[in-house]
Amino acid sequence: MNWTWFHQLGSPKSFYALTSQWLPWLVTVMVISMTAALVWALLYIPPDYQQGYTTRILVIHVAVAGTSLAFFPLMAVAGTITLVWRIKLADMVARNAATLGAWFSFVTLATGSLWGSVMWGTWWEWTDARLVSMLFQFFLLLAVIALRSAMDDNDKAAKACALLSIVGCINVVIIKYSVEWWNVLHQPNSPVGMSNSGANGPEFWLPTLLMVVAVYLFLTVSLILSTRNEILHRERKAQWVRELLAAS
Amino acid sequence: MLAEIQFTSLAEFLAMGGYGFNVWSVYVIFAVFVIVNLLAPLHRRKQIVREFKRRESRQSQNVTDFDNLESGNRQEDLQGQLNESRDKAANLPGDRK
Repeated sequence: MNWTWFHQLGSPKSFYALTSQWLPWLVTVMVISMTAALVWALLYIPPDYQQGYTTRILVIHVAVAGTSLAFFPLMAVAGTITLVWRIKLADMVARNAATLGAWFSFVTLATGSLWGSVMWGTWWEWTDARLVSMLFQFFLLLAVIALRSAMDDNDKAAKACALLSIVGCINVVIIKYSVEWWNVLHQPNSPVGMSNSGANGPEFWLPTLLMVVAVYLFLTVSLILSTRNEILHRERKAQWVRELLAAS
Repeated sequence: MLAEIQFTSLAEFLAMGGYGFNVWSVYVIFAVFVIVNLLAPLHRRKQIVREFKRRESRQSQNVTDFDNLESGNRQEDLQGQLNESRDKAANLPGDRK
């Protein structure tokens, strides 16, 4: 198999050129899908017979929570690529993913709390494995960010963060299956089907699905933008970056 | 499947069947989250471009000052040296990163 494409994508310069082509499309599809999902969710979802209009909270919560589970696997893969193939770009992606992932985890916890406070009658439940493991993910991401800024040696920092990312992946599995392994307050994933109704029906999960797509696109766009900044900063002495900056 | 619009008035829309505070808080948090994480990188990019341009213009200014030495423009030369030493002092803590 020919691996030149892999190393080409790993070069900051070709990543920058490639994402320059992708970004307009990604942003367009992101704006359309997010606007559509927001209008659909806010105006059209009929009230659930038990939850009323709070299912509108779940559209956001489910999309952000589900997407937040992608960060540690992403960082673990990027960390492995950094350690094995010494590709700087992977390290830049991992670094920026940690910050964005912390945002995702925080928004998951906040929106979940705002739903739980009216539906469960409590903002927080320490005995619920789903909630606690998500909180752990948030702290783990803060630990990764702190480790980065505390270590001067970039190589050592990358190694330590790759290791933490693998621990984070184990936690992701725990988050995912916590609702099945333990008897918790948090409800398991809803069975979806076209013939169901209320919070299980297509009038709820179709806008949620669209929101998941929009949030994944948002993650991609934000991560690409911050990685491009890091390329411009770290490679600021390279000729192509100087030319690019001079022209902008 | 695609139901109709659930509200007949703006007040009803804002009330969200009594869950207005919680529903709208979630949407405000989400909006802030999305906007901040798209605008922050754009702002950072502008900052990088600004830093680069400042560095470049300073360098070219220093070159000009050097040329002016012979024409006896000492005032500008001293200003150039001052700028340069100030840069060095400003860059010192940054070098550790």
